[in-house]
Amino acid sequence: MNSPAYISLKDVVFSRSGRRIFDGVSLDIPRGKITAIMGPSGTGKTTLLRLIGGQLRPDSGSVVVDGHEVPKLKRKALYSLREKMGMLFQSGALFTDLSVFENVAFPLRVHTKLPEDMIRDVVLMKLEAVGLRGARQLMPSELSGGMTRRVALARSIALDPELIMYDEPFAGQDPIAMGVLVKLIRDLNSSMGLTSVLVSHDVPESLSICHYACIISDGKVIGEGTPEELRAHPSGKVQQFLQGQPDGPVPFHYPAEGAASDFGLSGGAS
Amino acid sequence: MIDRIAAFGRLGLDIVSSFGRSGRFLAGVLGGVPRPATGFPLLMKQIYAVGVLSLAIVVVSGLFIGMVLGLQGYTILSDYGSEAAIGQMIALTLVRELGPVVTALLFAGRAGSALTAEIGLMKATEQLSSMEMMGVDPLRRVIAPRLWAGFIAMPVLAVIFSVVGIWGGMLVGVDWLGVFEGSFWGNMQSSVDFVDDVLNGVIKSVVFGFVCAWIAVYQGYDCVPTSAGISSATTKTVVYSSLAVLGLDFVLTAVMFGDF
Repeated sequence: MNSPAYISLKDVVFSRSGRRIFDGVSLDIPRGKITAIMGPSGTGKTTLLRLIGGQLRPDSGSVVVDGHEVPKLKRKALYSLREKMGMLFQSGALFTDLSVFENVAFPLRVHTKLPEDMIRDVVLMKLEAVGLRGARQLMPSELSGGMTRRVALARSIALDPELIMYDEPFAGQDPIAMGVLVKLIRDLNSSMGLTSVLVSHDVPESLSICHYACIISDGKVIGEGTPEELRAHPSGKVQQFLQGQPDGPVPFHYPAEGAASDFGLSGGAS
Repeated sequence: MIDRIAAFGRLGLDIVSSFGRSGRFLAGVLGGVPRPATGFPLLMKQIYAVGVLSLAIVVVSGLFIGMVLGLQGYTILSDYGSEAAIGQMIALTLVRELGPVVTALLFAGRAGSALTAEIGLMKATEQLSSMEMMGVDPLRRVIAPRLWAGFIAMPVLAVIFSVVGIWGGMLVGVDWLGVFEGSFWGNMQSSVDFVDDVLNGVIKSVVFGFVCAWIAVYQGYDCVPTSAGISSATTKTVVYSSLAVLGLDFVLTAVMFGDF
């Protein structure tokens, strides 16, 4: 059970509405470390998290989380496995009809039989960890984007999970909020011994905190390793992505028919 | 020509698959055994949202429909000199037909559309997904209480509608147009049968409540999670519920009152 890989994906193939999103992805996510999964937008990074969480099933291949073959789990076993997972959604996904306090208390109330004063203590501790103990009475509509994500983070660690998945935690954040999130992700990982999976296309932030990183493009893993190994990676695609070059192995132009015929320049050679 | 046949076939497939999905959805919602400790407060909250908050529109509509029935009934019946029968006419019309049907239509517009929009927005903002990832089944936590609330609230609303409507009819018929009060109530009592009329009306409203709530929560849960998707799902809720109510009303009436 205590293998070094907490999550292990093998030859995962997944298609949705006729489009093949993963074409044989194999990937090991080590226990207790921060692993970043990066890739251009639309490569199905969020889909990967949903496969791990069992919200989607792969067409073929295996997804093993902590020794459990996720796609084969029965409903009940899947739901109890999910109690060990936390997920931070891109939008935060706070329950808009509940206050900050009640949002963080929600998983505790559902999954534990703790008395009310204990729930209060746990919630305040979790909110303290993200620096928002003072915001407990606010409603989600009164929070800024960065605060929303911090509350959502407090909620996803409320049950002290073993695994936490971050879906684009840095997207659309100002530099200060980004710095706060980077610090929180790093601190939570080291203080709680969490296995963290970070899905992002913000290269510098992700590489600055992760122990391992993996780059997915066109349904395949095109590069993986420690941040240093990736920076020295020979593949042109990996380098283009890491350095953000507009043109390269991933072309600037979307595939199109010849420019001459499109612009009506008949006979013109192009 | 072939294209048209193919499009027709695709439409058929879409309809059948949508029925199938909503059936599986319903099985998922009703499959779980609710825990009374957590389920009861959730149910109460939803009964308040779909039932109590719909009271105003139901009472006002019931009052006006009853008053209109009083006026129309008096005009027609007085031609035959039988305006004393106005009580039984109003009561039978309301209890058998207008109570359940109009309440269901109002319910679809007032509560059904709100349910669809709320669930659709919860889906669009990933609240349902995040609940799933927390190990809580949204079908049981979010959908089931709303479905049951509609199922429970609708018959009560229909009964209230009929009662207020009869009172409105009495205001017009007795207090304004001067029909003798004794014959108003007496005729009503002697002609309205509890099982045949009142109970059948309640059965109708139970069926309508179930169908309206089912359509509303399914459309919300199944919608495309964008603003256009939610708006189209809300429209579909009102249109499908209204059609289903009117169609089912005919079927139920034929079964209940059709044995000549």
